[in-house]
Amino acid sequence: MQFTPLEDIPKIRESLRNVFHSGKTKPVAFRQEKLKQMGYLVQENKQALLDALKSDLGRPYLESDVLELVPTVNDIKYTHDNVHKWARSESAPFQFASSSMRPKVMKEPKGTVLAIIPYNYPLFLSFTPLMAAIAAGNTVLLKPSELAPATSQLLAELIPKYLGDDIVRVVLGAVEETTKLLELQWDHIAYTGSQRVARIVSAAAAKHLIPVTLELGGKNPVIIDPKSDLRLAARRIWWGKLVNAGQICVSPDYVLVPREVQDQLITEINLVHSEFFPEGPAESDSFGRIATTNHTQRIAGLIKETKGDIIIGGDVNLGKRYVAPTLVSNPSAEEPLMQEEIFGPVLPVVPVENVDEAIAFVNARQHPLVLYVFSQDSSFKAKVAAQTQSGAFAANELLLHVAAYGLPFGGTGPSGSGQVRGKYGFDTFTHLRGCIDQPGWIDTALLWRRYPPYNTWNQRVLAWITGDMFSDSKASRWWAWAWMAAIAAGFTMWSLSMSR
Amino acid sequence: MAEVGFTALEDIPKMREVLKHGFLSGKLRPVSARKEQILRLAYMIEDHADEFRHALALDLGRGPLEADFLDLQPTLHEVMEAYDHVEKWSKPEKPSFTLNWFAMSPVIRKEPKGTVLIISPFNFPMLLVLGPLAGALAAGCTALIKPSEQSPAVSELIAKLIPQYLDKDVCQVVLGGVPETTEVLELQWDHILYTGNGRVAKIILTAAAKHLTPVTTELGGKNPVVLDPKSDLKLAARRIAWGKFTNCGQICASPDYLLLPQAIEEEFTKELLDVLASFYPETPRKSSSYSRIITKQHTARIQRLITETKGKIIVGGESDVEERYIAPTIVKDVQPDDSLMEGEIFGPVLPIVSVKDVDEAINFINERDHPLVIYVFSQDEAFKAKVFDNTRSGAAISNETVIYHATTGLPFGGIGPSGSGATTGKYNFDMFTHSRASLNGRGWIDLILGGRYPPHTPAKSKKLALTMQRKLPSRPQALVAAGLGAATESTSNRWGLWLALAVVAAVVSGSMQLTSVRSWLAGMAK
Repeated sequence: MQFTPLEDIPKIRESLRNVFHSGKTKPVAFRQEKLKQMGYLVQENKQALLDALKSDLGRPYLESDVLELVPTVNDIKYTHDNVHKWARSESAPFQFASSSMRPKVMKEPKGTVLAIIPYNYPLFLSFTPLMAAIAAGNTVLLKPSELAPATSQLLAELIPKYLGDDIVRVVLGAVEETTKLLELQWDHIAYTGSQRVARIVSAAAAKHLIPVTLELGGKNPVIIDPKSDLRLAARRIWWGKLVNAGQICVSPDYVLVPREVQDQLITEINLVHSEFFPEGPAESDSFGRIATTNHTQRIAGLIKETKGDIIIGGDVNLGKRYVAPTLVSNPSAEEPLMQEEIFGPVLPVVPVENVDEAIAFVNARQHPLVLYVFSQDSSFKAKVAAQTQSGAFAANELLLHVAAYGLPFGGTGPSGSGQVRGKYGFDTFTHLRGCIDQPGWIDTALLWRRYPPYNTWNQRVLAWITGDMFSDSKASRWWAWAWMAAIAAGFTMWSLSMSR
Repeated sequence: MAEVGFTALEDIPKMREVLKHGFLSGKLRPVSARKEQILRLAYMIEDHADEFRHALALDLGRGPLEADFLDLQPTLHEVMEAYDHVEKWSKPEKPSFTLNWFAMSPVIRKEPKGTVLIISPFNFPMLLVLGPLAGALAAGCTALIKPSEQSPAVSELIAKLIPQYLDKDVCQVVLGGVPETTEVLELQWDHILYTGNGRVAKIILTAAAKHLTPVTTELGGKNPVVLDPKSDLKLAARRIAWGKFTNCGQICASPDYLLLPQAIEEEFTKELLDVLASFYPETPRKSSSYSRIITKQHTARIQRLITETKGKIIVGGESDVEERYIAPTIVKDVQPDDSLMEGEIFGPVLPIVSVKDVDEAINFINERDHPLVIYVFSQDEAFKAKVFDNTRSGAAISNETVIYHATTGLPFGGIGPSGSGATTGKYNFDMFTHSRASLNGRGWIDLILGGRYPPHTPAKSKKLALTMQRKLPSRPQALVAAGLGAATESTSNRWGLWLALAVVAAVVSGSMQLTSVRSWLAGMAK
């Protein structure tokens, strides 16, 4: 992968700013055209992208296709189809007192924005902020991950080909290049990745007062209702954990299972495991690899240090960046496996007495990006949802909430802030510009009383017409004036017509 | 000036603990409990309106009309806005129906972020702290508020009254200056709202970065006024002068400077002088309709700007640091590098920069930081559109100044150096709310999406692609011209169709007791 020369970076930003100032990104039709080109980029280079993803992540084609390419194109299409609605100015809700000013909210692009992308879903996570920023009318600098070199390189080649070289620019590089990028002023930064780097990004953004959207991770718990369908839970949890070898920010991290059904759940997972990998996971082409040797080593460490019982897997092949699907029962709450985000195919199963203990367990830790529940009982689900905090909440299904139309994607607290996807993504890169236009006659009619010299009578009148004081009669509003004026006008017209 | 009893540093972490505990107790989960606290806040203001007026006069020399029109009434309005709408705002939101997803009942839950921090400035010592507080309570958050030490009378009154009216584990008040604020910022909060200046905002954002706390900043900036030479000049003069000299120019949305077309320079300055004479017939110094500067330091700062200006003072210029008085001052022939153009003036001084035409005015604005608001006075739609389309600012206001903050339903917020995030009304609620995506899966969905599970086969891939993939609109001309790609195959099928089929099949099998169909379906689910 050819890194971008450091001295080019400020120039690239300058050119993006100039393009923004030219105003060419303002027409919605232009943005739709670009979104369409983006869609064709993915659709027409499917095989090249699948191969790049395979080379970076050893990921099976089915997973890449279904969980990366298809959702990307779908989201682009959805954005393309709806952007004209999102970009429309909105009128403020009607209120008589302010109606003369015709208040509205204009949706304006923030300007030139920076998007920093991680390696785990290098395509979907690149296009998510990219399509949103373009839909909102910004120019964009995209910094894909150096840990997914094949995909990043391919993006750097395809983007200028399909989108032109003016509204989106790609910078390839690692820490040095990113540091250089963060020295510059941007109108918004969208960062997807780890908490550690998020702190660095936020601190750098603070120097220029740049708003930041952070999509981070966290340990996503699964809470099991002992009365729920355990076979369904086992199949979906084991699938959700092993997709992309557990390297998804919304992968289930650990399971909180009531003691009475712990053994049953483990038995079901064992069954599912042999169903998924009849010839063993190491030989299966339905199971991915870890992105880097470093990460493989890190996960191997977690497995080695566990005080729990390894029920399935546990084997690691550093050279092949392979970590077997691993099920760990009864880990200690203090061990590394339960302290950091696993981001690998290892599933700890932690027994709890009941749902209250599960909720307390979750609340004693950082707010996760998503909380999963398996239960067919609505009151059980409602209780867990109401008493916990998390980016998203999904019952009886894993991962798919990320693809559902109309839902925001984002964390809360340490799992991130700000939201992307669909209209939420559009809003992230949009400035809501309040707008009023006050006619002159409002001064003649009413508001001249605000001007000095002040007197008590004017004070009382202004308070009466603008105020919202409590009183037994709720009549002290502008509309009272309006009614009086309307009646007076009507009466005058009537008496005039009578006198003729 | 009243003596403010600052909060003891060691109490601050304890206050946060109490508030965290209050949040986790779940007491604000029911909307009725939130309304109860909001209503108490409203009564706190109403019961002590006179004390607030008195405190505002002490801190800002603000007359009762301004106190009511700009602080008290808008605050009550904000509080009641939250009270009246919290049911509607907090209702879970359903995304629009899609065939593929409706079976999983996607919904967006409006959930409180947790325990939040509100730091507010001196210039609207009630509105800018109690307004957002109402929003935080409506969202179901518990809040620590830190009113400004530079408006001690109001801040102390708030600190005295809040514990009497609101629950102690719902809202707490910290009084203090830099050391207290620093202590507060050491702690983790679930959201921070800071209203103030860019310098402090950087400190706050840096502190927040350590805890990854989201921050909304409401800052200021030099807000320009662009004047159309053909507009109603009398009206413009009156509203600009009012916007500038109200609260002695100490409003983040005050018009800062005027870009005046050369052609009407003489005519318009005369209008401004006439308006000033009508506002303060007995001279501003003696007028009860004219405020004072908040502190002696700020008075001295503005005094320096006036003495150093190379422009021509056409009215005012007098000042008295002891009395915190600066006369309404208008300076013309101001050059871009003048002392008055250095930073936000935040005082009753109006510099006039002459420009040739609207294009020069637009360039002038674009060469500087994005302001919080751009004011345009014009009756010509094309003129207004030209200015607003070619500039960036927090808000875009025509033929009015300052009062847009109070407009129901409009977001109040800056862009770039003038801040980020939006406040007032529902925007306050949204700021303190996390939109939590929520989905409820069904077991039988695997009839359609079962192909996702390993072992992967080409047949599974094909089926999944067929059910999920959307069809793109027709190929862009630019791509055809560049010779990229051939005609694409159409794959417009959605799994929703499969889903509809499955539902039909299920209903049919159920109603007709077709056991064979049911066993077939059961077989597929495995």
